[in-house]
Formats: sequence, C-alpha cells, structure tokens
Amino acid sequence: MKKLKVTFYPENKSIEIEKGKTILAAAISAHIYINSSCGGDGVCGRCKIILNKGEVISQPSGRLSPEQRKHGYYLACQTLVESDLEVLIPPESRLELDKLTQEEVDLRLKGLYSKAEEVGPPQSLIKEGIFRHSPLATKLYLELTPPDHTDRISDLERVLRHIRQNYDVKVIQIGLVNIRRLGSLLRDSDWKVTVTLGKRNGTTEIVLVEPGDTSEKNYGLCFDIGTTTISAQLIDLKTKKILGTKATYNRQASFGSDIITRIIYAREEDGLEKLHHAVIDTMNEMIKELVRENCVDLNDVNCILCAGNTTMVHLLLRVDPTYIRREPYVSTANFVPTIRANEAGIKINPRGLLSCVPGVSSYVGGDISAGILACGLDKEEEVCLLIDIGTNGEIVVGNKEFLISAAASAGPAFEGSGLSCGTRAARGAIQKVKISPKDFEVSFNVIKDVKPIGICGSGYIDIVSQMLKAGLIDKEGKFKQVKSSRLRKSDIGNEFILVFSGDSGTGSDIVVSEADIENIKRAKAAIFAASAILIEQLSLKFGDIDKVFIAGGFGTYLDMENAVSIGLLPDIERKKFIFVGNSSLAGAREVLLSYEAMKSITEIAKKVTYLELSIESRYMDEYMAAMFFPHTDKSRFPNMKE
Amino acid sequence: MAELVYQKWSGKINETIIGAGPLSIKIGAEEGLPFLFKEGKIPNQPRIAFEVWDIAPADWPDELAGQYKDVFNNPLEWAGKCVQEYQAQAICLRLQGAHPDFGNKSAEEEARLIKDLLKALDVPLIILGCGDDNKDNEVLPVCSQAASGKRCLIGSAVGDNYRTLAVAVLADGHSIIAESPIDINIAKQLNILISDMGIPLERIVINPTIGALGYGLEYAYSIMERARLAALAGDKMMAMPFICFVGQETWRAKEAKAGEKEFPQWGPEAERGVAWESVTAVALLQAGADLLVMRHPKAIDCVRKYIEVSFKDNI
Repeated sequence: MKKLKVTFYPENKSIEIEKGKTILAAAISAHIYINSSCGGDGVCGRCKIILNKGEVISQPSGRLSPEQRKHGYYLACQTLVESDLEVLIPPESRLELDKLTQEEVDLRLKGLYSKAEEVGPPQSLIKEGIFRHSPLATKLYLELTPPDHTDRISDLERVLRHIRQNYDVKVIQIGLVNIRRLGSLLRDSDWKVTVTLGKRNGTTEIVLVEPGDTSEKNYGLCFDIGTTTISAQLIDLKTKKILGTKATYNRQASFGSDIITRIIYAREEDGLEKLHHAVIDTMNEMIKELVRENCVDLNDVNCILCAGNTTMVHLLLRVDPTYIRREPYVSTANFVPTIRANEAGIKINPRGLLSCVPGVSSYVGGDISAGILACGLDKEEEVCLLIDIGTNGEIVVGNKEFLISAAASAGPAFEGSGLSCGTRAARGAIQKVKISPKDFEVSFNVIKDVKPIGICGSGYIDIVSQMLKAGLIDKEGKFKQVKSSRLRKSDIGNEFILVFSGDSGTGSDIVVSEADIENIKRAKAAIFAASAILIEQLSLKFGDIDKVFIAGGFGTYLDMENAVSIGLLPDIERKKFIFVGNSSLAGAREVLLSYEAMKSITEIAKKVTYLELSIESRYMDEYMAAMFFPHTDKSRFPNMKE
Repeated sequence: MAELVYQKWSGKINETIIGAGPLSIKIGAEEGLPFLFKEGKIPNQPRIAFEVWDIAPADWPDELAGQYKDVFNNPLEWAGKCVQEYQAQAICLRLQGAHPDFGNKSAEEEARLIKDLLKALDVPLIILGCGDDNKDNEVLPVCSQAASGKRCLIGSAVGDNYRTLAVAVLADGHSIIAESPIDINIAKQLNILISDMGIPLERIVINPTIGALGYGLEYAYSIMERARLAALAGDKMMAMPFICFVGQETWRAKEAKAGEKEFPQWGPEAERGVAWESVTAVALLQAGADLLVMRHPKAIDCVRKYIEVSFKDNI
C-alpha cells in the first residue's frame, strides 16, 4: 500500500500514512490531538481542519458553512488522504492536551484538598485519621538474626517468623522471583533488609525484598480516571503527605466524548487497544512527571489506587466494555482484584500493585463509591444526597443505614461538549457570566484571564439563568422577541452573541443558540429527574435532605443560586449545599492509605442499591416535568420568584 | 345502610365564557370529577360545537359529507344550517383554506368570512387555524382583530408557536386554545408560558389532543383524568376546561369511515360512524371534557341526550 506524507501545521509535524485513511487517523498517529466528540462519525463537526495543499476525498457535511468550505475547511474524520497533504489545524479544533496549569489544577481540586477556608463544613467530610494508617503497600525494615546450629529454619521461614513475631501480620504469599533471590540477598546485606508487604485481596504478600533500610522511601499514587479528566496525586505512604497533584485531559477524548461512543469504538479494529493505550499513556506521563518533580525514584512507587467509572476501569484494564451498553447492562467486573500495575501497562516498580475502587453497577462506578467514602455519606445519621455532575450524572441518597443510587445520562453538556461554543473548564473558558436585564450587555470571567475561546458548563448555567432573569428567553428556553444587537437569526435558529468576534480568542463570535439551551435543559432535567425519583423512592421530599454534596470537576465553580434557578439543583436551604470538588480522588487516596478504608469502600459498593432508571416508568414523566425552567411544577421551587 | 363518603376537593376548574351575546356559553367551573354531582358543584353542562370549514373538506367520508352536501361550499350557509336545523350551540370554524396546500386564502379573505359569520350568527364562534405555523401567525391575528370584542375561542397555540396568537387574543379579548401532544407536563408548561404573556388563566382552554376509540382513547382519557385530578387538588396551572376535537379524530378511523362493501361484517356505515363518534365523545365526557367539537348531527344529537340524562341528577 502506498504511503503518503501528511504534514500538520502549525507544528510542522509529518507522518506517513496509507492512502485512504482519514486525516483524523493521521493526526492521532502523529500524536496531534484534534477534537472529536462523536468519535469520527462526522456528526459533531468538532474536527475541522484547513487543507493547504494536496488532494482528498471528502464526504459532504452540514457541519461546514459554505463560507468555511470556500476557505478549504474539511472535517478531519470525513476526509480521506489521497495525496501528500499539508493540513492546518485551527485553534478551535485543537484538543488541548497540555498539562493543566497549577491554577487550573487548584480549581479542579478545590474542595477536599484546598486551603482550609475553601472547604465546606469539616464535620461533613471525612475526618483525618478515621481509618487506621495501613497503606496498600507497607515497607518493613527487618534486622534478622542470622541462622546457626540452634536456629536452622530456612531463610524464607526466618523472614516470615520475624514479621509474624514483630508486626502481628500473617504473610500468605511470596512470589518465586523473590524466593530465588532471597538466599544471596539476605547474606549480602548482612541480614538487614527491607520487605515491601502488599495487601492483595484479603491476603498479605511479600511484594519485594531489598537490601538495607529503604523503609523511608515508600510512595503511592491515587488516580481519578474520569471520562474527560484524569487527576492524580503522589503520596508519601509513610507520612501520608501529598507530594504533588496533577490533572490532565483523558486522551481517550479523541475517540469520543462520552462513554457510549467509546464503548462503540472499542469494538472497532484495535479500538480497545487504542483506548487502553490512550489512558495508560496519559497516566504514565503523569506518573513520570510527578516522580521527577518530587525527586522520587520510580522504583520506590509501590502501589496505585484508581477510582473511575466502570467503563474507564474496564478500558484501563483492557477489558472489553461492550456489554455495559447492551441490555441488561451488565459489566464484566465491578470488583476487580488487586493486580500488578505492570499487568495493566502502568509503569511503577515492576512488582508494584494496582487496585481499583469497586463499583456498584455498570453505570455507578468506583468513582461514586469513592465519593461516598470521601463525603462520609455512609456515616451520616441524617439522609444526605450526593450529586456527581460529569459526563454522566450520578446520584446517591442515603445515610449509615442505607444507600441508593442512580445514573442519569445527562450527556456531556455540562462539560461543554455538544454545544456550539462549548469547551471544557480550562484556559480560555468563560466560567462566570452576568447579563444586564436593561440592555442585555454581558460581563464575564474567563479562566486564566485570556481572550475567551468558548463557554464551559458553569458558564452555561450562568447564561441560562441570567437570560431567564433578563427576559431574553421564556421558561421553555426559547428566545423571546426582544430587540438587541446581540440577538440574531441563523439558518439553524436563533442565537445570542455573547462575545463578538473582535473580542474572542477564536476570531469568531461566541454564541449561545436555542439548541444549546435545549441541550442544557435536557442535561439538567436528567439530573434533577434522577434525584427526584430517588428521593421519591424513599417517600422523602428534597426538604428532608440534610446535606447535598455536589461533586465533579465543575462543581467547584458552580454558582449555586443560578444552578437552582435553572432547576439543576433542588430549591432547598442553600446552606445545605456542600461543594466537594473531586470526591473520587479524595476517596481513592483514603483507600490507598488504609486497608480499613478499602474494606469500608468494598462494603459501600456492596451496600449501595442501584436503581436502573431506564426501566423506571416514572423517570420519563419526571424528566418531561423537569424540561422547563426551573420546573413545570412551580411548587418545587417555592423560593424562585417570577 | 352505611353512608357514602364523598371526596371534597380544594381546587376548582376555571370558568371560561365563549361568545358575547345572550347565547354565550360557559364551560368549566366544576368542583368535582365529571358527573359526580355530590362531590362538588357542576354548574355548566358540557357543550358541543359543530365543526364547519371555510372550504369543502376533501377527506370527509361520504356518510359525513352527505349531511352537509347542500351547504358544503358555503361556510355561511353551513354554519346557518347547523344552527337552524340542528340547534347548534356553538360553531367551530376551521380555516383550512388558508393552508398553503389547500387554497392559500389570504388573511383578509378569512377575516371577511369571520366578520360575515359573526354578523349572521348569534351563537359563539371558535376559530381554528390551518395548522401551518407561519400561515397561522399571519392569518389568526387578523381574524382575531376582525372578531374583536366577540369573545371567541381561538386556536391552537402550541409549545413552539404560541406568542403571536397569545398577543392577538389578549388584545382582542378572546380566549385561547393551548394544544399539547397528550402530555400532562407539556400541557402545564404551555399554560404557564401563555399566562406569562399576560393572558388570564380563565381565558385558556386545554386541548389535550385525543385519540378516537381504538386509536389511543384510553391514553387520552388517562392524561385528562390526571390533569383534572391535579387541578382539583389545587394545581391552578392545570385548572382549565378541556376542548376535545372528537369529530376530527373519529372520522379518521377506518372503523368510522370504511364502507359496508369493504367490510360487510361491520354493518352499515351510516350507523357505524355515528356510533364511533358518539362513543368516543361519551368516554371523553367521563374524562372531563367540557367542550366537544363534533361533526355528525346524529352523533351530536345522541351525545346531547346522554348529557341531558346524566345531568338529571344534578340538583
């Protein structure tokens, strides 16, 4: 097959590719990441590129305006390479894979890890030391008595006896690799060795035996593997200190922005492999940097604890996720045994362990179990609600007596996906908006204070709320007939210009269309309806809820009042809302540091009842009732004035 | 003997007045479920309007069209016949001829017809658009103005297109039909949106959309029943009377329009269609319908008798 050269600008990066492959495929091979929410179906129109030179075969697409077509725009996923090409990737199509800046990381991780004043009421969150310190991997420094004629038990017996006598730990397993090396290692190190013990599925094994005392150097990592964002922390397992925190985008985003698209992609040729590699590459790079920045030897990183939704865990472990989206929606494994990180392709100490937080069901994963643990929902006396707003909206209601959960397919609207000018909550995203009811003038705030490139979820919540208040839209989300230079009619409907092209970072107007508002309405209706069904299932009212924990990457810069006014959150006392940020990562860290927390979270995952909304007949009705701002039933939002 | 227990409701259905003269009709105002006279007051009997078109309907089956064949091409005479011959209490004029595909009559033409009708008739008038949003937005405001002060009932406002009509209806003192697709939530949402435009709640009538017998009647029934229960329990945004387009739905059903030659075992179509329309209407009355728009004079006569008999107990 003839190889053709595709050169991408502005990187000036070239790649050889077979004739007839898509430009999107070429870009992925060249490690250039282009937006592709639909995973190459040609429906999202996010992967626009400009062809500078060369010949292509292209499918016609309604996602390109005649203007754009004239200027050589194509959809990368619908365009086949026919000759050597020169391709320019415009900024709006670029999937920013750069590491988030420290400030962005802080934003994402605000809440549980932030400075004390930004955390919600401390009594609601997990208390320091509630679980006994017993990390997934523990190092013990042993000074063994050498054998003599009166004490002739074997080397291995000697090590095990010492541990049993001094630490009250019953070691069950040890690998052959370690035994083979043991004889000379003990003698060469003058019977002074460090043993790394790992907790594996209820048993304890000797992971590693090293000469001398290295017990000070024992590190672990916790990960939150989100559909959109991956967050990680490097932890000193001995002192429990957090050495560094990083967050970056999940590279799987190139294969589709939601889990369903990715599950479908996994069935394509090499699809599972590619998805698996996208996530482990992202993780390995994060580990490498965390380790380098903190001057830690990769070999001293002995364990990893991952929390993620069920699909993400499947992909991390390279397990086929197909059956998650087929009726009756059963996953291959919700409880995954602790394995060697190596087996999953994660590069730490080759004998290091990897454990995943157990999940509840196919659509309520380990990230939610971790969230429950981190918020202490399972310890609460009063009934509390946990809402995790991500690509999927997961809801948990309960207390120490019971826990019940549901997942609402909210879609990625709150992460800025599927909207005409949506973007993730990162540099250049409009995150706070005010619209004057007098003249509809707009003021906004952009992450990192640069020229805006798009609008993120919290920005959209503000916009819808402000538009309602300013009388720009009716309660159905349709534009009213008002006079404003910002309101215009395009061929796909009415739209409101938030930022004129001259002031935007993309050179185009940043707009909010009626369709965008409809999308937001659907997403918020799904989350509200799921919450309402769960509450109703327990014969409770929202007013009976003691605390509402709001988790998720964007939960941290969410304007509560606006979120209530559009009907995303229930209209209850605002002081009951507690923003917890990334509760999944917090939970994963607890589990990494304590075997008790691991037992506790396993109990949580077993205890949570899962309510499948797709077979819940009332869900559709609740959903339709919530498809209104704030809600069809005004009495549910008594504090919202007209 | 044990005493019967009656439900007492906190809510009440709004009363809507249609028409301006001495023959104006009142619908709604129920304080209990249909025909349960001991639950609460039911001051107004359900009413029936005759459906009249501005053009000769092409798709009415022979049995039905035959009833009006002498007046089919003249809406004025048609309406007159309904009043004089069949004692119609209200006329429902459908402006089908305004539809771009069915004559594309101008707004002025339709307005003139309405003026003439109002001059000739003393009974209240219900005005329906042609169903094409753009055309209705052009025609209905002009017609509304032509009927200004006559307290007509004009429709239909739908979720995607209610503003133009609402503004006109409000200005000219009419009432509005709010149409939703057999969905209690959308019905309520539309009521809120219309009332947000400034139209008083008692000038909104719900068209819940119905199906004929065998074509989703029970679904429509349960939606209406739920809406009515919500209204009686105090939900003001659901407390509007219902208008049901019985004729329109019935005469689309194969069982109503198919000829005897086609299905000899079904019996003569002259009886069948009338029975189908009557049964559909009676079921909807039990669900809470306040205003029925019907077509066949015999069916209307039958349902009228049913109402009369049923209301005998209403003392």
